[in-house]
Amino acid sequence: MSLDPASAPADVIIVGSGAAGGIAAYSLTKAGLRCLMLEAGRDYDPQQEVNMLAPESDAPLRGSATPDKPFGYFDATVDGGWEVDGEPYTSTKGSGFRWWRPRMLGGRTNHWGRHVPRWGAYDFKPFSRDGLGVDWPIGYDDVAPFYDRVEKMIGVNGGPIGLENHPDSPADCLMPPPAPRVPELLLKATAESMGIPVRAAHTAVLTRDMPDAVAPRSACFNATPCTRGCTIGAMFQTTTSFLPMAKATGRLTVVTDAMVSRVLTNQAGRATGVEYVDRKTGVRHQVSARAVVLAGGTGETTRLLLNSGEAGRGLANSSGELGRNLTDSTGASFSAFIPGLADRPRYNEDGIGGQHVYIPFWLYEKQKRGELDFARGYHFEVWGRFGVPSANVLPRAWGADLKKAVRSASGATIGLSLRGEMIPNKDTYCEIDPGVRDRFGIPVLRFAFRFSRQEVNQVAHGRRIAHALFERMNGRILDDPSLPPEKIMAAGGEIIHELGTARMGADARTSVVDSYGRAWDVDNLVLMDGAIFASGAHKNPTLTILALALRASERLAARFKSGAFA
Amino acid sequence: MTPSRRTTLQWMIAAAAMPLARWASPASAAEGANAPPFDTVADWPGAPPPLVATKGYGRDPTLMEPKVVWPLTLTRAQRATVDLLGDMILPADDVSPGAGQLGVGAFIDEWISAPYPTQQGDRATILGGLDWLDRQSIAQHGKDFAALGAPIRGLLLDALCVAVPSGKLEMPVKFMDRLRHLFVLGFYTLPEGKKDMGHVGDQPTEGPYPGPSVEARTHLAALLAELKLGERTS
Ligand SMILES: Cc1cc2nc3c(=O)[nH]c(=O)nc-3n(C[C@H](O)[C@H](O)[C@H](O)COP(=O)(O)OP(=O)(O)OC[C@H]3O[C@@H](n4cnc5c(N)ncnc54)[C@H](O)[C@@H]3O)c2cc1C
Ligand code: SF4
Repeated sequence: MSLDPASAPADVIIVGSGAAGGIAAYSLTKAGLRCLMLEAGRDYDPQQEVNMLAPESDAPLRGSATPDKPFGYFDATVDGGWEVDGEPYTSTKGSGFRWWRPRMLGGRTNHWGRHVPRWGAYDFKPFSRDGLGVDWPIGYDDVAPFYDRVEKMIGVNGGPIGLENHPDSPADCLMPPPAPRVPELLLKATAESMGIPVRAAHTAVLTRDMPDAVAPRSACFNATPCTRGCTIGAMFQTTTSFLPMAKATGRLTVVTDAMVSRVLTNQAGRATGVEYVDRKTGVRHQVSARAVVLAGGTGETTRLLLNSGEAGRGLANSSGELGRNLTDSTGASFSAFIPGLADRPRYNEDGIGGQHVYIPFWLYEKQKRGELDFARGYHFEVWGRFGVPSANVLPRAWGADLKKAVRSASGATIGLSLRGEMIPNKDTYCEIDPGVRDRFGIPVLRFAFRFSRQEVNQVAHGRRIAHALFERMNGRILDDPSLPPEKIMAAGGEIIHELGTARMGADARTSVVDSYGRAWDVDNLVLMDGAIFASGAHKNPTLTILALALRASERLAARFKSGAFA
Repeated sequence: MTPSRRTTLQWMIAAAAMPLARWASPASAAEGANAPPFDTVADWPGAPPPLVATKGYGRDPTLMEPKVVWPLTLTRAQRATVDLLGDMILPADDVSPGAGQLGVGAFIDEWISAPYPTQQGDRATILGGLDWLDRQSIAQHGKDFAALGAPIRGLLLDALCVAVPSGKLEMPVKFMDRLRHLFVLGFYTLPEGKKDMGHVGDQPTEGPYPGPSVEARTHLAALLAELKLGERTS
C-alpha cells in the first residue's frame, strides 16, 4: 500500500460522490478507467449509521428541526444543511439565496426526496416553444436512451403518464408503483372530476428486489422515513449502489475529507489535476490525472471553476457565462383540513416513503393558446397521512375534548406542494465574493436571486387550483389566501434544485460546456452535475443529472479509448 | 426540499413554521367566549433568567444512539406543575394514560432546556406562564395554582382557551397554546400516543404495499358519494 491513496496513478479525478459523481465512478470504472474520487465530506456507511426503525420519540425534541439538523434529528445529512461550519456563502443585498450542502460520502442522495420524473421534449427546447431562455443543444431523443438505462440502474417505480411533455418509459424500465392511499384516492377522484390528471409518481424506490453480486438491494418494506437513509438499499443512494459497485472493480480510490479548492492547468490549457485541502489536517495536496470530472453539485462546481484559471475570470469562462443562468424550482405549499376524512378507519398508510401519486402539469395546450399568464409549468406533490395532527387543525381546547379532537383529526389533512419551473433571468447568478473566504482560505460564492413575474404568476395560478381542489373536497383551507404570491413562495435555493451556472450549448461563445459536459475551453475537463443545465423544468432534476452524467461518462471513456488523452 | 413521507417530522417542520394565530374552532371559540372573565388579571412576569450556556447535539450526532446532551432545567416545583397540567390537558381515559403520568413533562423540560432559538422562545413563554399561573391563582384565591382544587384550576384553563384574548390575557393564552402544542407533540409521538390515535404502521411489511383496507375503502366510497365524486376508489 502506498502511503497516500490519492497518489495512486489515476486516469480520471472525480470531484464529488453524489448523484453525478456516483454514476460517473460506476460508468468510468466499468469502462476500465482508474478513478480517484475526492469527496469533501466524511466517509459514510448507511449500513452502520442509519437508525431506520427508531421511533421519533427516541430523538431529542422528538426529532424536530433545529439549526443543527434542519430536516430533523434522524435526517441523514452529515455536517451540513443550510449552513456548513466554517464554509459560508453570501448573498447580494436583499436577495437571500439559501444553499443546502451536506459533507458526506454520497452527497445529497443519502436523504433526497426521490421524485424522478422524466423531462420532456419541451423541457429541452423551451426557447423554440415560447421564445424565452435558450434551447439545449440536445433534445429529448438524445437523452431518452439514457433515461431508460438510468431508470433500470437506480430502480424506479411508477406508471404511465400519457400526457403532453410527459414522456412514458418503455415497458421494461419501471417497477410497479405502490397502491395509492385514501387521501391520494380522494385527490384523484376530485382532480379528475375537474379535468386535472393524477398519476402514479415515479419514485427512486425499489418495489422489487434488485439482485447484484456486490451491492444487492431489497424491495422497500413499506415502513420507514427514507430521508434517514435506507440500510436495505431500497431507495437509491450512491452509498448503497454505485459506489460499492465501482469499488468492486478495483479501479476506484475514494478519498474523503478532501475539499477540492481548484482545478490545475498547464500552459497548453489542459487540466492536469486538482488541488485539495485535507479537511482534518488543513494540509494541501495536488493530485494529477489525465482528465478531471467536476460533480460537486451545481454551486460548488462553478465555484471551483471561478477559483481556478485566470484570477478574476476563472477557468473555462471565455463565454463569460460561468455563474449565470442560476435557477431553482419555485415552491409553495398548500393544505386543507378535510372533514370527510376525519375519524376515518385506520389501516397501515405507510407505504413507500413519499407520495404514491402526484399531479403532473396538464395545461400545455391552454398555455399554447395564450390563455395562461405564465410560461412553463408546475406540478403538485401530494402529502397527507395518519399522524399527529398539526396545531392549526386542533381546537383551542383542553382535556377530554382535546384528546377526542386529536384522534378525529389524525389523517384528515391533505397537502399539495407546488414545484414549478423558473426561467433564467439576468438578476439571478452566483459569483465569487471578493471579501469572504472559508476556513480553508478558499473564496466563497455570493448569490444574487430574483424571481420574475412568470414565476409569481405561476405560483398564484397553482394556489387557485390547489384551493379549488380543496373546496371541491369540502375542505377548510389552512393557508392564507389573502397573502400575495410573492409571500408564499419558497426562497431561492430552498427547493434544493439549483441548476444552470455553467450551462451547455451548441456555441462556445455563449455556453460553458458542450452537450457532453466537456468544457469548451479545456478539452479534458468534464462537468457532470446540474451546473450544465441550459434551463430548469418544473420536474425535479436528479434523473436528468444522472442521465446526462452517464452520457458524458460514456463519451469520456470513448475518448480515452480513442487515444484522446494519451 | 421536496416534501416526502408525511410523518411527524413533516408535521413538525410545518408546525415550526406556523404561527399559532390561525386558530379556527367555532365550537371552542363559543365556549371560550362564555368563560368567566377574571376581575383581575395578574401581570405577566418579566423574562426568566437566561439558560446557562450549553451546546446542542451538533451537525453530526451519532444517530444510532440518540441522546439529549443538554441538562434539564425545570425546578421540582415547576416540573410538578407541568405534570399536573399534562394530566389536565391530555387526561387519562380508558384509551390512554394522562400526559403527566406518561412523563411527557420530561419532554417539555427537554424542549425548553434546548439551546436552540425556537426552544428558547418557548422557554420564556412556558416559564413565564407557569409563574403567571401562580400569580393569578394567588391574586384570585390566595394560593398557588397547584394548591387549587381541580374545578377551579379547570376554570382557569378555560379562560386560557378564549378565541380572542384581550389585553393582559394575550400572553397567558399564548402560553397555553404553546404548552398544549408541546403536550400534543410529546404525547402522540410516544408509542402510547400512537396507540391512542389508533395508529397502524411503523412495521416493516414485505411485498407490495397492500393499500387501504376494506373498511377504509368503504368509508372513502361513502365520502365520494357524498361529495358527488362517483364511486371510483382505485
Ligand atoms: C431534502 C432534499 C430533497 C430532494 N428531493 C429531490 C427529489 O425528490 N427529486 C430530485 O430529483 N432531486 C431532489 N433533491 C435534489 C438532489 O439531491 C440533487 O439534485 C442531487 O443530489 C444532485 O446531485 P449532485 O451529484 O450534483 O450533487 P450532490 O448529491 O450534492 O453531491 C455533491 C457531492 O460533492 C461534494 N463536494 C462538493 N464540493 C466539493 C469539493 N470542493 N471537493 C470535493 N467534494 C465536494 C459534496 O460534499 C457532495 O457529497 C433533493 C435534495 C434534498 C436535499
Ligand atoms: S420506506 Fe422503503 S425505501 Fe424508504 S427507507 Fe423505508 S424501506 Fe427504504
